[in-house]
Parts: sequence; C-alpha cells; structure tokens
Amino acid sequence: MVESTTPVRWLLRLLAIGYVFMLVAWPVGLLVQHTFADGLTTLTATLTDPGVVGALRLTALVTFWAVLINLVFGVTISMLLVRYEFPGKRLLSALIDVPLSVSPVVVGLALLLAYNGRDGWFGPTLEAHGIRLVFDLPAMVMATCFVALPLVIREVVPVLTEIGDDQEQAARSLGASAPQTFWRITLPSIRWAVVYGVVLSLARAVGEFGAVKIVSGNFTGRTQTATLVVEQQYQNFQQDAAYATSFLLILVSVACLVVVALLRPGRH
Amino acid sequence: MSIDVQHITKRFGDFVALDDVSVTIPSGGLTALLGPSGGGKSTLLRVIAGLESADAGSVHIEGTDATRLAPQKRNVGFVFQHYAVFKHLTVARNVAFGLEVRKVPRAQVRQKVHELLELVHLSQFADRMPSQLSGGQRQRMALARALAVEPSVLLLDEPFGALDAKVRKELRDWLRRLHDEVHVTTVFVTHDQEEALEVADEIVVVNGGRVEQVGTPDELYDAPANDFVMGFLGEVTSLGGRVLRPHDVELETGPGRDAAREAIVTRVLRIGFETRVLAETVQGEQVTVVMTRTHARTLELVEGMTVWLSAAPGAVSVAAPTGAAGGSDERDPAVPLAV
Repeated sequence: MVESTTPVRWLLRLLAIGYVFMLVAWPVGLLVQHTFADGLTTLTATLTDPGVVGALRLTALVTFWAVLINLVFGVTISMLLVRYEFPGKRLLSALIDVPLSVSPVVVGLALLLAYNGRDGWFGPTLEAHGIRLVFDLPAMVMATCFVALPLVIREVVPVLTEIGDDQEQAARSLGASAPQTFWRITLPSIRWAVVYGVVLSLARAVGEFGAVKIVSGNFTGRTQTATLVVEQQYQNFQQDAAYATSFLLILVSVACLVVVALLRPGRH
Repeated sequence: MSIDVQHITKRFGDFVALDDVSVTIPSGGLTALLGPSGGGKSTLLRVIAGLESADAGSVHIEGTDATRLAPQKRNVGFVFQHYAVFKHLTVARNVAFGLEVRKVPRAQVRQKVHELLELVHLSQFADRMPSQLSGGQRQRMALARALAVEPSVLLLDEPFGALDAKVRKELRDWLRRLHDEVHVTTVFVTHDQEEALEVADEIVVVNGGRVEQVGTPDELYDAPANDFVMGFLGEVTSLGGRVLRPHDVELETGPGRDAAREAIVTRVLRIGFETRVLAETVQGEQVTVVMTRTHARTLELVEGMTVWLSAAPGAVSVAAPTGAAGGSDERDPAVPLAV
C-alpha cells in the first residue's frame, strides 16, 4: 500500500462515492421513491395487471430455460476448453466472448435472419410442422442464451484450470468411469464457480432487452417480457406502472447480488 | 511376471520421452524407477497406469494385455506426487472412493476403510477434511485410497517428492514396512538415489528415455553398467581415466604403489565426520578424495602438499567418458540394454 496523506485519501473516497452515487444510487433510489409515491397503490395495481403478470411469468420462463441450457452447455464447453486439445480450440474460445462485445440488438437481428420462418435455414421446414422459432419462446430463449453464453464459461474455466486434472486422474485410476468422475469429483470441485456463473446468467437473462425485443416481435400480452413491458408502459405515459415494474426487476437483481456476495468468500 | 513392458515408445511433440523401453517387474517386489528429472521414468509409470498412452509397444499386467485398457480397468493403484486428494471429501470418503464407485455394500466399505486407516495410522483423522492434514498424512491417505481397491500393482509417482527431508525419511521407512506387510507389487518413481537404494528390492535406472540398468541395489552399486549409473548412484571422481568413488581413492604422502599418480593438494575441506581433499594430478586431472577426519589428521594434509593417489584394492570403477570427467552428456549414446 502506498501511504497517502489524509486529505488525498478523503478526496479519493469522496470522488468514488460521489461517482457511484450520481450514476447508480441516486437514479435507482428515485425510481424506488416514485414506485412508493402513493404508498403501495402503484405496486399493487401493477401486480394485479394481467399484462404485467404475464410478462413477469414469461421473463421467468425464458430465464429458466436460458439459464438451464446455458448451465449445461457452459460446463460442457468449459470442460472441453480446459481438458482437451483440438484444432479450432482458440477460435472457439474467441467466439465465446463475442456476446460480450456485440450489441444485443445485433444478436437479435442475426438470429432473426438465421431462424425466421420465411427464408431462414430451419424456419420454413419447422413452421410447416407447426413449430415457430422466431416471434415466439424458442427464439427468445435462444437470444437470451446467446447474450449469457460467456458468463458460466468464464467463471468455470479458471477454476477448472486451477484445480488441474490430478483429482480426475486419481478417480479414473481408482476405477471411476468418466461420468462417475464428473459427478463425484469434477462437479463438486467447481460447484461454486458454477453457482456464481448461474447467478450472473440469471441476472443477465432477466434484464435482457435488445435481443429479445427483436426476436420476440414484442407482441403485447404474448411475447412481451418484463423489460419490454417497462418500455411500453413508459412510452404509453404510464410512468408509475413503468417504475413499479422496474422496481420488481431491481428486486431480482438485488437478490442476485446478495447471493453473489454471500458466495464470494466461499470461492476462496 | 507382474508387469511386462515391451518396446514402449512415447513422444511429446519432438521430445522422445521413452525410446523403445522394455522392462519386466517381478511380482510382489518393491521396485524403484530411478533417474534424473525428464528422463522418462514418470512417463513410464503413467504408461503402465494407462494415464498416458504409448505410441508403440505393449504393457502386460499380471499376464493380461493392458495396452489398450482404460486406466479404470487396469486394477492399478496410483499415488501422485502432489497427493491428488479429493478436497471436498473427508479422509474416510477419500479412502472409500474406489469402493463406492464399484458399488461395494456400505458395511463392507466401512469395514475396509477402517482397516486401511488403521494400516496408515490415520484412524483418528477419518472425519477430517484433507486440508486439515499435513503433507505426510495426505500422502498416507492417498496410499490407503489406492490400496482400498486391492490393486494388482501399486504405482507411486515421486511419492515423497513434495515433503520435507525428515518426513520423507520417515515415510520411506514406513513404505518399506508397509510393503513387507501387504506384499503388493509396488513400483515407485524417484530421482533420489538414496531413497531407491534404501527402500527398493530392485532398481531400474532410467535416463534419456532409456533403461540404463536393472538390478538390486547392491548389483547397481557394485557393478554399475556404465559411468552414468555409477555417477547417479553416488558421488564419483576420476583418476587415470577411470571413474570411481571418492572414498575408493587412496592417498599417500610418499610414492608407494606402482600405479600411484603424483598430485598437489589444492584444497582440504572438513565436513562433519569426513574430510574431502581436492587434488590436481601432474596430468592435470582434478581428483576428489574422501576420508575420515581421523585419517586426514594423521596424514597432516595441508594445501600445496604433494601426495600420491591410487585406486583402493577392489575398488569399483568404470571407464571414464571420452574427454573430461563426469559429464554424462558428452558420452556416446549407449545402446539400450536388453532387460
């Protein structure tokens, strides 16, 4: 630690706190304040609005599937990246980071182009059999999976690398099959990283807006998730409802943050 | 014959880790694979265990062709240098692992784990986590874990390499006693010649991906196949084109024997009970002589003194490599010994 004089320390502290306050705490606080401006009336009204309830339910559904799929593929891809050598490994690793740098809107457009029902690769065939991808749940889950793709992998890969494969080799030499080794040794060793990745994916999935807006078609009451409802309420001059719905989304984020904060010490 | 390795070759890219290695390890013995780091001994052990697949050659364990068998099908117990303990399982669960994956009934597992923990003196630690154990205790736990599945062979990769000198010595003696108790065919890798000489019934000297010599500790010490084996098993010096042990060099203050070479004492070092004398012969050879402190005192050795050096009668010596003393790298590549 570099020794600094007391005034400098105070200045730095003030700067950091001021920055976070102006950017995060104050605006979010205002939103909460507006939600409860008339007591619980706005919140109750919002929670009884079937449109909002439906949207929340849809968000939960999309989040559930996206997180589950992301969990399975995330752990599998992490194992592949850390434990095996294969041509194209570096390319795969680079591709995984694409969702971090590409705008969700672009993701939505790309998925729309690839899977639409008119000239996409699978779209027309599937649509002929009555299965719709785009403007329905499947594409919304896909879009959410896309944006949350790196979150599990980037948590699990360093932990897998750090623990090495000694324990796995020991398990194999003791007679464990590959699945037994995975369930009994590998997974328990990386469980906190997995949980951490899942929580991050969850927060990301609940908050996703751009990609989902494009691939869902944003049909009121049918393919509108909570974030899309917030935007619509705001544009329809239903500010109070928008604040209340936002407040519910904030609650989810806070819950995620709490879980993460509780897990952090467990990771070391 | 318990483990029969034939013509094993293993490459890592351009690096040849094992070059047409053939070795047979007898049943029930305690065999050391001894050699310098990077010489291929660990790779050989891992090939036997199936943790590494050979590019060519075959491995037979207890008469069964194990060359293509997965590690979990070889019935081999493996102990790793860094213990490879299952960090999230208690000591007892670690030991029980091999039995649990084999779906052995619970009561039987408990019984067996109890016996094994007794054997490795860890009974009172059964419910601890591995992180609460010392290095030596962890390695004993790893050994119990490997023994739990009643392996036909027990393979230990530098088992004491990560431990401090004192614990290492204790565990070494303990391993020997344990082996005398359980009699499972055991192969351990070490780069410590003292460890190999002290513990093993038989030593396989591995260097540069080849087997240099196989024999009992006495055979290796008394009849080394070449200067590498001689040099690796203990300190050597060269005198008159022969490599021999420093304590086998006789030093006299006057010209006595025929073959004695005249030399000037360049340094006298007293280390504990022994005295090391460095001398340069008239021919320019640097010779190290080791003698007891008492002997050195009676000779009244001082630096700059002229002495006569000769090999003691019956001293073991091998031809020095072409060129200078020591330097095994300069030696012509030896033909791998058929074992």
